[in-house]
Amino acid sequence: MEAHVEAGVATAVRARANRVGLWLFIASESFLFAAVISARYFVLGVERPQDLNQPLGFGISLVLLSSSLTAYRAETSIAFGDREGFLRNTAFTIGLGALFLAGVGLEWKEGLEFFPPDTLFGSAFFTLIGLHAFHVLTGIGALAVVYRLGRKGRFGPGDFWGVEGVVKYWHFVDVAWVFIYPTLYLVS
Amino acid sequence: MSEARADRGRKMRLGLWVLGWLVLIEVVEFVVGVNLQHALIPLVVLAIPPAWLILRYFMHIDRLRGGGE
Repeated sequence: MEAHVEAGVATAVRARANRVGLWLFIASESFLFAAVISARYFVLGVERPQDLNQPLGFGISLVLLSSSLTAYRAETSIAFGDREGFLRNTAFTIGLGALFLAGVGLEWKEGLEFFPPDTLFGSAFFTLIGLHAFHVLTGIGALAVVYRLGRKGRFGPGDFWGVEGVVKYWHFVDVAWVFIYPTLYLVS
Repeated sequence: MSEARADRGRKMRLGLWVLGWLVLIEVVEFVVGVNLQHALIPLVVLAIPPAWLILRYFMHIDRLRGGGE
């Protein structure tokens, strides 16, 4: 009985340590994004080229925001033991992430034509979008890992830290975009 | 069992509400950004609520204090 209680306490302590560790990681990543965002204002002020495709930026923002809902639903599903819902929502999240990256690819194609990386705005644009797209790509990779593990029967109510951690990272990528999007597309 | 189902349904609906607010704010942000000159301050202000909504409801930042559900 005592050993059982001790094991329960150890699990709770580990869960808390995991969470604190992840939040510290997210905080350090926030500083990285804040530095690159502030570099845009430092170098360019609020200037932006007229050739920016604002509707495309708006569209991919909606795609990324929607992926946050599916990621949230995936976590909620596994927390309640709904494996099918978890797998379905994780697959949707991966799909929406891939769609976002396709939009970014389109942006890059236009960007290379209108404001190449050797211009001031192009330098800020490609650095910021590239840094963020890399985070989306790693998020998709992590989601694919939890999807595969979930299919093999891993995770369930009370044992879904792997899912929670990956989903939190995904949401962070979304929060970063909430600041990147107006910085690059809307401020003038 | 039915209580768990109701709880799950409530959480799923909450997610939809949060997304609705996120989309609404994003639309307002887009309209402001496209139509207003010198929109830096309004855009900075408009970026804060969606970030807070995601941190609060999707990332469960409050779990840090309580140690989890």
